[in-house]
Amino acid sequence: MKLLKCPINGTRPISEFVYGGTYRDMPDHEIVTDSEWASYVHYRDNAPGLKKEWWYHGPSGTWFIAERNTLTDEVKDTYLFNKLVEQESVK
Amino acid sequence: MNMRINKQTGEWLEREKQINFTYEGKKFTAYEGDTITSALWASGEKVLGRSFKYHRPRGVLSLANHDINVMLTDGVDTNIRGDVITVKEGMSLTAVNTLGGVKKDNLRYIGKLLSPFLVVGFYYKAFFRPRFMFPFWENIIRHGAGLGKVNFNYPRIPKPKLNEHYDVLVVGAGPSGLAAALAASLDKQLKILIVDENKQAGGSLGYDRAGSVTPQSQLEELLSEVNITPNITLRTDAYAGAYYTDHLIPIIEFSGITKVRTKTLIIATGVFEQPPVFRNNDLPGVMNGSAAQRMIYRYGIKPFNDGVVFTANDYGYRVALDLIHAGTNVKAVVDLRKTPVSSILTRELANHDIRIYSGHCVYEALATSDDMAVKGVVICPFDEETNQADSEQSFTIECDGVAMSAGWASAAALLYQSGMKVKYDYTIEQFIPDSLPNGIFAAGKVNGVYDFDQRIADGARAAAEAMRYMGMDNAPVITVQAHSNVSPSHSFPVVPHPKGKNFVDFDEDIQAKDFINAAKEGFDNIELMKRFTTVGMGPSQGKHSNMNAIRILARIRELPVEKIGSTTSRPFFHPTPIGHLGGRNFHPVRQSSIQSWHADAGAVFVDVGAWSRPAYYQKPGVDLAEIIQQESMAVHNAVGIIDGSSLGKIEVCGPDAAQFLEKFFTGKFADQKVGEIRYALSIDESAVVADDGIVSRVKDELFYITIGTSNAAMVYREMQRWLQMWQLDVGLINVTGSYGIINVVGPKAVHVVSSLTQDPLVSKLTAGKVGETIISEVPVRIMCVTFVSNIGYEIHVPADSMLAVWEKLIKAGTAYDIRPFGTDTQRLLRLEMGHYLPAYDTDGLTIPYELGCESELAMDKPFFVGQRSLKILAKKTLKKRLVPFVLADNFSGQMPEDCNLVIENGEIKGRVTSISYSSKVDRVIGFAYVDPNKVEAGSQFEIRTDNGSMVKATVVNTPFFNSKKEF
Amino acid sequence: MSMMKSTPVAYFQKNLNPKWGEVNGTQVAMSFDTPEIEQQRKKNLGVTDVSCRQRFGVKGPKANQWLATQNIKTPDSINSWVLDNDVLVLRLGSSEFLIEQQVSGDVCKQLNQVSQTAAVGVYKVLRADAAFVISGDQILTMFSELCKLDLSAEALKPNQLIMTQVADISATIVSEITNGQLVIRLWCDGTYGAYMWRVLHQLAEELGGGAVGLTNC
Repeated sequence: MKLLKCPINGTRPISEFVYGGTYRDMPDHEIVTDSEWASYVHYRDNAPGLKKEWWYHGPSGTWFIAERNTLTDEVKDTYLFNKLVEQESVK
Repeated sequence: MNMRINKQTGEWLEREKQINFTYEGKKFTAYEGDTITSALWASGEKVLGRSFKYHRPRGVLSLANHDINVMLTDGVDTNIRGDVITVKEGMSLTAVNTLGGVKKDNLRYIGKLLSPFLVVGFYYKAFFRPRFMFPFWENIIRHGAGLGKVNFNYPRIPKPKLNEHYDVLVVGAGPSGLAAALAASLDKQLKILIVDENKQAGGSLGYDRAGSVTPQSQLEELLSEVNITPNITLRTDAYAGAYYTDHLIPIIEFSGITKVRTKTLIIATGVFEQPPVFRNNDLPGVMNGSAAQRMIYRYGIKPFNDGVVFTANDYGYRVALDLIHAGTNVKAVVDLRKTPVSSILTRELANHDIRIYSGHCVYEALATSDDMAVKGVVICPFDEETNQADSEQSFTIECDGVAMSAGWASAAALLYQSGMKVKYDYTIEQFIPDSLPNGIFAAGKVNGVYDFDQRIADGARAAAEAMRYMGMDNAPVITVQAHSNVSPSHSFPVVPHPKGKNFVDFDEDIQAKDFINAAKEGFDNIELMKRFTTVGMGPSQGKHSNMNAIRILARIRELPVEKIGSTTSRPFFHPTPIGHLGGRNFHPVRQSSIQSWHADAGAVFVDVGAWSRPAYYQKPGVDLAEIIQQESMAVHNAVGIIDGSSLGKIEVCGPDAAQFLEKFFTGKFADQKVGEIRYALSIDESAVVADDGIVSRVKDELFYITIGTSNAAMVYREMQRWLQMWQLDVGLINVTGSYGIINVVGPKAVHVVSSLTQDPLVSKLTAGKVGETIISEVPVRIMCVTFVSNIGYEIHVPADSMLAVWEKLIKAGTAYDIRPFGTDTQRLLRLEMGHYLPAYDTDGLTIPYELGCESELAMDKPFFVGQRSLKILAKKTLKKRLVPFVLADNFSGQMPEDCNLVIENGEIKGRVTSISYSSKVDRVIGFAYVDPNKVEAGSQFEIRTDNGSMVKATVVNTPFFNSKKEF
Repeated sequence: MSMMKSTPVAYFQKNLNPKWGEVNGTQVAMSFDTPEIEQQRKKNLGVTDVSCRQRFGVKGPKANQWLATQNIKTPDSINSWVLDNDVLVLRLGSSEFLIEQQVSGDVCKQLNQVSQTAAVGVYKVLRADAAFVISGDQILTMFSELCKLDLSAEALKPNQLIMTQVADISATIVSEITNGQLVIRLWCDGTYGAYMWRVLHQLAEELGGGAVGLTNC
C-alpha cells in the first residue's frame, strides 16, 4: 500500500487519504467563453507527467497539494495550499 | 515396498511419532514431519495423481511446491498439495481430477485416445459449431474441467490481519539470506525479520550435499548464530506473498496474513529447478535432481532402487553422489554436454565405478506395462549444435527412477513486481537483476551467485548496501566474485521426439511441439504464447516451466533469450486462501446515543451510509407495510417522534460566514435574519445537484447547517477546501457527532414539546424559525421545519443528553399516543409532503432545472459554485422534469417500482424515482421524471412496470394530501 | 434536578453487567469484576471507557493565544500534548485544541461557559468524544491488528499525538510509558464509541485481558 506524506501529520498509508482531483486554477467566470468554462469544468489533461493534486488527510481534516508524477506514481512534494499560493504569486 | 532409509542428519522427521492416514482407500503410516507425498513414496506408492489434461499418472517432480503433480482432497478441503502439507492423524485423502480413483482413472483414455485431437489451443477452435451443440459440450467440459470439488460448506474462518514494521526483511532463509540477516544484525538498532516458506530454514544448503556432511554443519552454524541474535526474528512456514508499493510485503502463514512494512528488502529466494524436456519425462519415478535430494535428506527416503541420472549441468553429479549415499544403484550418468567437466565430482563418480555418457541424452523414458511407472530409459548420442538425437544409436538401461537436472530459473517474482529490470547473463544462462528500485536488494542464487562462499559474501554485501541505504555510512563495502565455473544452467535442454509427450509444463500438460504449433498460428510473443498454450497458467504459475518456455520460444523465433522477455509476475507467490485475503475485517458503524432505547423498543435497524438507524419499530402480528401506514397515520393524526441524529451538522462562524454560504450554496444568506431558517441547495461546479439541507442563523456570525446523512462528510470536506481557496475569515466546525436530533412531528407536537419548558419560545415558533432554549438544564436548539409534516419540531440536543430529553418527550407524549417511527415511514412522510430527496430523486447528472427549483438559484449573486455552468445550461433545451404523480384511484395490477421507465410513443421520457402507497392520500403517490411539457397538474403519462404492463399516472400538486380535491 | 447523561459506549457494555456509578452527571461502568481480576486484565490488556471525562474543544487562528488568556498551558509543537495539573491539553494539528479534565476539577466547565462568538478567530468545538485508556503487555499485538502505524515506543517522539485510523475509523492516539508499561489513550467520535468499545473489548478478551472499570483504571 502506497505511503503519502501529509505536510502536517507525516507519512501515512494511502488509506487515510481522500483524493481530491487535479488542482486547477479557476478561470475568471465572468469573462471566459462558454466553451472555455466547459473545458475548465469537464476536461482534464491526461498526459503523463508531474501534476499538482488535491489530497485530504481524513483523520485530521487537512487539505494539501501533492506533486505526483502520474507515470511513475512518485510523489515529489506535498505542501499546504497557502504555499502553492505563494509559489503562484512569485511567478 | 519400503523406501525408508536410516535417520539422516538434519532430517525433518520425528521417527518416534507415527501417524496413520488413508490414501485412495488404503491405509498408510507416516512419521511426524512427513509430507503426504513423502509418506506415500516411502511406502512404495508411486502414482500420486493424474495430470490435468491427459490424465497421465504422475509421481514426484519437484517435491517443493513448484508443481502440482500431487493434489488431494480430504472431503472438506480440496487441492491439498501433497508435496508440502504434513500428514495429520486420521487424514483421509484421494487424488483430485480422477474418475474412479487415481489408479483406475476412467479418464486416462483421454490421454491415450484423444490426445491427437487435444492439440494446443483446441478449446478455442472446437465445440462452438454447430451452435446448438454448444450447451451439450459446455456441460461436459464444465464437469471435466477444473481440479477438485468446491465444498460449499467449507467453514468460514476469517483470519486476523496484522501490521508489522521492520528495518530489514529478508525473504529466504538459505545461506545468503541467513548471512544477510546476520550481517545486518551487527547494528543492534535494526529490527530484522527473515521468512522462509519451508517448514525449516536452510534452503538448498539443507539438501544439496553431494554425499558430504559439510553442508549440514555449515547450516547448523549459521542457524545457531541466528538463534542467539536478539534483533533477528526467523519465521518458517511463512511465505512472502507479493510486493506492494513502498515495501509492503504480506507474509502468509497458517494463522493469517501479516502485512510487513519494511525499510529495506533483501530477496534471497533462490532458484527453481527446470527439468530437461524429453519424452515421458513425467512418468512416476522420473524426478528433478533436487527433488531426489529433498527426499533423501528431509524425509530419509531412497528415491528409487536402480537409477539413471540425466544431467545437462554439474548439479546432476552432486545428485548422483547423494543417490549413492542413499543406497540407490546409480547405473549411469547421462550428460547432455559433449565435454564433461573434469572435476572432483566426475572423479568421485568414477571411484564408484559409474559410467558417464557425455554428449548423450535420454531420448525417452520407458513405461512399465501398466504405464504407471518408469522401467527404463532409452539413451542415444546427442548433438548440441543441431539439437538432434541420433536414435539409430540408441540403447536402453533398465531403472525404476531417473533424476534429471538441466538448470535453474530465478525465483524473482517479488523483484519483478517491485519494478526490477533484468539482464540475461550468458555465463550462467540466467536472468539476473540489472537494476533494482531503491531499498530493494537481491542476494544468492536469485542474484546469479552459485559458489557457496560467494553466496555468503553476497548476503553480507546486500545487507551492507541496505544499511548504507538507511544512512549507515560506515557499512562495509563487500565485493563478490563473478561466476567463474561451469554454467549452472544449460542453454537448451530440450530433446525433440517425433511422438512428443516431452513435457515442459506438467501442470497443464504442455509439450514441446505445442510451442511450435502456437508459433505457427501466430502466437509468437511470450504473453500470447502463454495464453494460447497455457504454459505457466496452472497452479504453479510457471515455477518449473517458465525458463524452458522462454528458451523454446527464443529458438522458434531465432532470437536471443533476452529479446523474448518474461511474462508479468503478479501476486500471490503461492495460492492464498480467500479466508486470509478477506480476513477479519472491520465494519465500522455509527449510532445515535440512544440506540439502546430503540433496540429495547423493538426497532429493526437499517444501514444508512455509515449509520445504523431504526427503519421501523416492530409490532407483534403486524406486517411491515401495515406498520409503515400506522406510523405515518400517527404522525398525520396525532404526534410521532423520530431520532434524526445521523444528519450532518456544521457550524459556520466568523465575520465572513454569510459571504461563505453565499458562495457555497445557490441561495442568499447575507440577508437572513437571526432566528430564521432557509433551505440550502448545493451544486457542484458542473451544476449537478450535490445535496440540500437547511441553514439556521443562530447568531449574526453563527450559522448552523444540517445536511443529509450520506453526504455530510463530503460536504464538510468540500467546504474546507473552498474555504482554503477563498481565504475568508470563517471557522468551520463539524458537529455531526456532537449533537443528537429529535424530530417531534404532527398536529399535537406543539403540546408535547411546549410541556418540556417554561420558555414560550416553542409555541411561538412558526415554520422556518429557530430558537435556543433550555430543557431541564440542557441547552438545545429547536427548529420548526416542515420536512415530514406541516407541523414539526427538530430539536438539536448535545449527544450526551439525548436520552434524557428523548425520554422526557416520550413521557410527555403518552397523553397524545406519541409514536416513534423510523426511516421507512420518514421516507413516505416526506414523499407525502412533496419533498424530493437528493440521491433518491436525483442522480449524478440531475441539474436544478430538472427539479424545478429555479427559485433557489440566486443568479444575481456575484459568484456561487456552479453558477456559470447554470447559465450555460439554461440556454439548453430541458429534456426532463421531476413531477409529483398519483396512480388511479383503486389502482390494481403490478406496482411500479423505482427506476421503472416512463415511456411515450415507444420512447423513454424518464423514470420513477420514488413511489409508495399512502393511507393518508389513499392513493399510490410518487415522483417521476417526465417530458417537460407534462409539468402541469392534470397531465398524464405512462409507466412500464417490470412485467411490461403500462400504468397510467397523473401529475398533481404537492403536498399530495392538499391536492386531494383535484383528483 | 439534574438528568443523567449517557456515555456513548453504554450500549455494548450492558451485557457485561458492570457496577454503574455516576461521574460528571454521566452513568459510567465503575467496575466489571473483582479488583484482582481487573488488575490481571490490566496486566495483559485492559480497556477502560473514560468518555465521561469533562472536555472542551476550541479551534481557530487565535485559539492558542486565547487559551493563554484563560491560563491554559498549551504545547509548543503541533500534534503534541501537555499534562498540567490534571488538565490534559492536546494540540490537534496546529490550531485546534482538546482539553480534558482527567479526574476532577472545573477547568472545562468554566471554558464551556464561553459563548461561540466570544472572540474573533476563536471557535468553540462542542466535543462528544468516546475515549478509552488501554494498557497491558499485549497492547502492541492488539494495535498491530487495529492500526497500520508503528506505535512501539521507539517509533514515537515523547508527548506526540497521532491522528490516524484505528479499526478503520478516525481516531486520536496518545501513547506514553507509565511505570514501565505502555499506555495508549484513544479518542474517537462518540457516534463510533459503541463500535470502538466492541472491537477493543473483543480483542482484549482474545489476548487474555478484558474490560476494566473506571475505579481500577
